[in-house]
Amino acid sequence: MEATSSVETRSDFTRFIATFIYAVIVAAGVAIVFAKTTSPGGARQMMSIDLDIWLFAGITVAGIALRYFFAAYSEAVKVIACLGGFLIFTIGHDPMTRYLTLSALLFAIGMYGMVKSRNAVRVLMSIELMLNAVNINLITFARYVDPAGVKGHLFAIFILTVAAAEAAVGLAIVLSIYRNLATVDMDRFNLLRW
Amino acid sequence: MEFVNVQELVSTGVAEALAFYFIAALAITLSIGVISDKNVIRAGFLLIGVFGGISGLFFLLQAQFIALAQVMIYAVGITLVVVIALMLTNPRLQNEEAEEEAIASSEPALLKFLDSIRNGFPGLVAWIAFVTVYMAIRSEHWEQSTQTIGEDNIAVIGRALTTDYSLPFEFASVLLLAALIGAIMLAKAEKVEDTDTPREGIESGSN
Amino acid sequence: MNAAEIYKLSRLAIFWLSVTFGAVWVACWGVGVFIPSLITGKMPFLLQVDNPSTTVVFIADLLRSLTPILSLLVFIPINAMFMVLFERRSLALFTVRMGPNRHGFDGLAQTAADAVKLLFKEDITPRGADAFMFTLAPIIFFAPSIFGALPLLAAVTNNHDLFKVANLPTGIFYILAAASIPVVALVMAGWASNNKYSLVGGLRSAAQAISYEIPLVLSLVTMCLLAGTLDVVEIVEQQKGGILNWNILGGGALSGYDKLAPYWLNLVDTSFDTSAMFGQFYPVPWLSSIMAFVLVICTVLLFGLYLTGACAEINRIPFDLPEAESELVSGYNTEYSGIKFAIFFLAEFTNLFVVSSIATVMFLGGGDNPIPKWILDRLPLEPISNALGSLLSPLIKDLMFIDPATFWAAFWVIVKVYSIVFFAILVRGTLPRFRIDQLMDFGWKRLIPLALILFVVVVFARTWVVCHG
Repeated sequence: MEATSSVETRSDFTRFIATFIYAVIVAAGVAIVFAKTTSPGGARQMMSIDLDIWLFAGITVAGIALRYFFAAYSEAVKVIACLGGFLIFTIGHDPMTRYLTLSALLFAIGMYGMVKSRNAVRVLMSIELMLNAVNINLITFARYVDPAGVKGHLFAIFILTVAAAEAAVGLAIVLSIYRNLATVDMDRFNLLRW
Repeated sequence: MEFVNVQELVSTGVAEALAFYFIAALAITLSIGVISDKNVIRAGFLLIGVFGGISGLFFLLQAQFIALAQVMIYAVGITLVVVIALMLTNPRLQNEEAEEEAIASSEPALLKFLDSIRNGFPGLVAWIAFVTVYMAIRSEHWEQSTQTIGEDNIAVIGRALTTDYSLPFEFASVLLLAALIGAIMLAKAEKVEDTDTPREGIESGSN
Repeated sequence: MNAAEIYKLSRLAIFWLSVTFGAVWVACWGVGVFIPSLITGKMPFLLQVDNPSTTVVFIADLLRSLTPILSLLVFIPINAMFMVLFERRSLALFTVRMGPNRHGFDGLAQTAADAVKLLFKEDITPRGADAFMFTLAPIIFFAPSIFGALPLLAAVTNNHDLFKVANLPTGIFYILAAASIPVVALVMAGWASNNKYSLVGGLRSAAQAISYEIPLVLSLVTMCLLAGTLDVVEIVEQQKGGILNWNILGGGALSGYDKLAPYWLNLVDTSFDTSAMFGQFYPVPWLSSIMAFVLVICTVLLFGLYLTGACAEINRIPFDLPEAESELVSGYNTEYSGIKFAIFFLAEFTNLFVVSSIATVMFLGGGDNPIPKWILDRLPLEPISNALGSLLSPLIKDLMFIDPATFWAAFWVIVKVYSIVFFAILVRGTLPRFRIDQLMDFGWKRLIPLALILFVVVVFARTWVVCHG
């Protein structure tokens, strides 16, 4: 059989080198942003939001290309892209933006995991991740915008309770489905299809 | 005697920024591990690390109560239940992965390319969502208060929960009770007929 | 009765306790007082410096703030060695056997030898194990016992300056959160070992810990409700003044009797109306007194509830299902050897110590002496303490080697904590192990309802009585 998959044709060495090159590229991008923000004349306001986003887009495209053509390690590429993007987006900003960006990133990761996963329990885990991202958001606003009141904390407490209830019922449903269908694969849950 | 005031060091900014970036890197790395680790049980354990890191963030944000509740409820309670559920539902992990790889490698090149685009679609959506939210964060300017949260934070939370927010609090308790009963009802062992075909699947895979 | 064996056991306990706490004391004093004073030139009899540089002052401050964690790092290994030996000798006493008596003088060095042996054993990772998780599990098991014990330090040393930094406004909640982490490590160890016995042990420990954490937390929550605070230092502060003020006797419900006892016993001049003062503590004449005794009963029950829950939480007999050797080889630590096993072992005994300290702080008055203040004031202790003070004054004043307030607090804490440890060993020598279904039934059908009922009763009863909070 002809090996068509690029994952299989590449040696481990090539894959490692590709991953390493990607790390270097991202580090260079972060270094540019860092230099721009810390240089004497260049305050953070000088760097527009578009530039940040284009840089992040470039990093993402480079990651996809290295992944597709040179079979760089998938998890490593994801980690490097997320960390690099996070640094590009937050270096030199006030703490509130940092926390909110982290929250957005975790939410996006959770969303990705929720759509992508085939294991039902992993989907539940991704949902917990998203709920946690929301909690970070609430606590950040409670800390920086409304320190006297504790509304953010209260909402976080309610989210905690709802998450506990959700985990209990969701896992019970998953267990019951597993007992009846012997699988937790999301693609095979088609009981309600007509 | 004069001591190094840890709280002061944290609130000056540099130490907080360093701690923040350390915890953030940990949380991001581990959460990517959660969604993409081949071994789903290990992903469950990584989730504990993510929640622990987030509770560290809550400490940095001076929300001690939420941070500790996060450790007790999320990192230990919920995740432990998730891990146990993973162990109960996951006897055939390696087989499924192998099956998937075999299907993927037998397709022609063009189809594989289209397939990879389809597989990349969730990533694209997540990417756009993240960038959109980030643009919203950057373009909005909140009135930041210079006050810091007081030490008697917990007392304030407790008072609010029993006065202004007592109704939602009661609803939360009702919700928990309902969830408890519902979970017990759903997970209660049922009688299983021996001729049920899916049961064989479990037995063949669970050894 | 076997008087000779009891004498040997007490000799062992006194010897090892002096070794343990002497080492901790010297380490704390050296790092927290001596070296900082020396380098900043404040030490008497030695080199004097007038204006130390800021770097030196910073280093001195850093050393002082590291003292709490250093004291724990010195304390934990020595304490575990002592407790293992203490447990073995006590069990030998209860079951009329000899116990370890070869190494050192009458077996005093047995556990030291064991520790050396464990450290030099080969560290094996079984085939098919998840090596990373396998290594991480003992660390996660051990670390919370250090971090969880930190806020307790200020409470047990009478809020000593060196340990003040470790105190938190969320004290007891923090300790409980830290105490709930080790179960994750047990599940992790069980799963990563790639061994069915280990896995079953880990899962059992998860089920057990989740079930028994509820009565444990509820009992402590009730005590916090009586105290009106979560801060452990404040809770200890409230209980000062003798056994009648301790939380185990009604959480301060009897403190009115404690205040009035000297008047009734004619120890002081009864020239004023005691009934007015009585009414201050017990507003409604009959009901309040009844409620005070209801509170006493409730808190004693809560103490029992706490001990039961804690026993299950740290996997001790009769709740040691996770490592039941007759069913599961050794449970979650079956595959562990060498230093990783040593860490598990260390952490188990440290956890026993930590839960005993929590019981001491929350129920038994922390570093308070059990004799009520009005008796203590009448004992002829003043001349003795004055004589001792002048005799030891170079140690107290100049070298700051002895802090009298901390010394007596620490003394009483040690007595109380090791009494609870001894009780736990007694329970181990007496009770058989539960079966897993009995364990679950006992937890969910007996303890949790009891804890909830006690909580409600305490909430109502405390409205009639003036408690600590």
